Amino acid sequence: MNKNQTISISDDTIFKLKILAEEKESVRRKLIVTAEKLRLKAKQLAITAEEKESVRRKLAITAEKLVATAKEKESVRRELVITAKKLRLKAKQLAVTAKEKESVRRKLAITAGKLKKSRETLERKVIERTKSLEMARAKEEAILLSIGDGLIATDEKGQIILINKTAEKLLEKQSKDVMGKIFSETILLEDEYGTTIPLDKHPVSMALLGNKISTKNIADTIYHARKDKSRFPLAIMVTPVTLEKKVIGTIKVFRDITNEHQIDRAKTEFVSLASHQLRTPLSTVSWYTEMLLEGNIGCLNEKQKKYLTEVYRGNQRMIELVNALLDVSRLELGTFTIEPKPVDIVKLAKSVIHEQTPQMDYRKIKFSFLPEKIPIIDADPKLIRMIVQNILSNAIKYTPEGGKVEASISLADKKNIIFKVSDSGYGIPKNQQDKIFTKLFRADNVREKDTDGTGLGLYIVKSVVENSGGKIWFESTREKPGTTFFVTLPIKRIISE
Amino acid sequence: MKTQLTKNKKTILVIEDERPLLEVVNEKLLENGFGVITARSVDQVFNAMLDKNNLGIIAASNIKQALDHLENLEQVDAIWLDHNLLGKENGIDFVKKFKANGGRWNKIPIFVISNTESSETIKSYVDLGISKYYVKSNHKLDSIINDINLTLN
Repeated sequence: MNKNQTISISDDTIFKLKILAEEKESVRRKLIVTAEKLRLKAKQLAITAEEKESVRRKLAITAEKLVATAKEKESVRRELVITAKKLRLKAKQLAVTAKEKESVRRKLAITAGKLKKSRETLERKVIERTKSLEMARAKEEAILLSIGDGLIATDEKGQIILINKTAEKLLEKQSKDVMGKIFSETILLEDEYGTTIPLDKHPVSMALLGNKISTKNIADTIYHARKDKSRFPLAIMVTPVTLEKKVIGTIKVFRDITNEHQIDRAKTEFVSLASHQLRTPLSTVSWYTEMLLEGNIGCLNEKQKKYLTEVYRGNQRMIELVNALLDVSRLELGTFTIEPKPVDIVKLAKSVIHEQTPQMDYRKIKFSFLPEKIPIIDADPKLIRMIVQNILSNAIKYTPEGGKVEASISLADKKNIIFKVSDSGYGIPKNQQDKIFTKLFRADNVREKDTDGTGLGLYIVKSVVENSGGKIWFESTREKPGTTFFVTLPIKRIISE
Repeated sequence: MKTQLTKNKKTILVIEDERPLLEVVNEKLLENGFGVITARSVDQVFNAMLDKNNLGIIAASNIKQALDHLENLEQVDAIWLDHNLLGKENGIDFVKKFKANGGRWNKIPIFVISNTESSETIKSYVDLGISKYYVKSNHKLDSIINDINLTLN
């Protein structure tokens, strides 16, 4: 329609058109609002999408993490499986061990039962044994305590651990007062002169060093001083008690020897008296026959001389016997005094040899003496003379007429002198060689022969030699006739070379 | 107390308690040309003949004898002495008393001839300065007289 076409339109229609336009405007406005809303919505949606994306991303990350966790879980699971397997194995093993344990436990229970039984038996036995041991110990102790000799035991420190009744009585001490005390400080000993024996010389101290100590003879008597200053002589024997070669104590046995002392004194007095009494008549016979034999009282005929010579010889033998008996008693009583002085041993030996020359000549003995150079030493000339005299006279006596005797003196070493006498005589029978030094013994082969002897000479010589710290021995074999005697004597002190 | 003296001879005083021994020693010494004075106790040597009688008086004749005895004692050259003697005193007592006189008597050699062999006794004598000690039964008269001669010459 174009404009020129003017169509006559009624008012109603215009109105209507106006309303329509208005409505259109409202719709358009509504549309704008809606568009606005939509834009808003779109914006909101865009925001939501972004959020969603972010969530999605987060989710993706979470998912990745989950995967990783799942992987870890898987690995842990696997490990757990392995562990579980191991545990199962272990459980199995444990089950076995448990079984074994159970079996052991059962066995142990049985053993324990047995043990209990045997322990009870043992206990019973121990009690019984202890009882019998205690009885035995009590008995032993009673025996020890009742010994008639004094008895004191100490431990390794010298402390008294036992003292018997006799010791208590002898020493006037109570067991309770001395137990555990040092022996050598509690029980004082003194010598002949009342001097207290010093600690290091005390027999108990010596025994603790492992020596066995005893009073050998009357000469070295020890005295015990009582509270009231009176004293009594003791015979004493202290022995170290050893266990596995270690001294663990000492035991001392002692007794009061007052009576023995008195008897001994009486003996000595008797010996001294007897010596005088016996020697006086012997001297009378000796000197009167000497006068007669020398023709001082007038000449004797041959037969008278011969008879008187026999009297004289018999008397001489008696004198020798008395001398020998006196020597023996002195040795046995311990009254043999050693009086050392400077001695020229060779000179002394020569004088003894000189004295015996008549006997050697009488028996036509070929004699030789080979002395070395010996220094002048400290010795008792009386004893040296006794030794040389006895050995030499034996050699002469027990060698047949025309035989040989050789003597020598030399230095065995720096500390000993050796005196040697060999003869070509009868020798000493093998089966009697061990008895040759015993008192009053004479070998069969010489008793059968016409020889005289007292059987005391070698006994005396051995005692004298050993008392002087020397040694004596002999050699007598079938192969070589005769006997060789050896005597060594220690050189105590050289006086001059 | 018996005295047999010869002028210009050596005189020995013999003190011995055993009569037979005293006699034989006396005889032997005389034979060897000694003058001999004998006694059997210490008392006899020092108080010879001066014994008081029961009235407590010494007889004049005894005094004469005693003076002679003292004169003789002065001539003694050596002494032969036993240890055990009659009376209370022994040889040691004698030596002590004798030596106490001092002078010439101190130098007179003393020979102790005894059967006592105790070393204590012997030591006492040696300490008192005697010449020699003999165990009686172990020595011949000849050998002792020989020693006395050697000492005196």
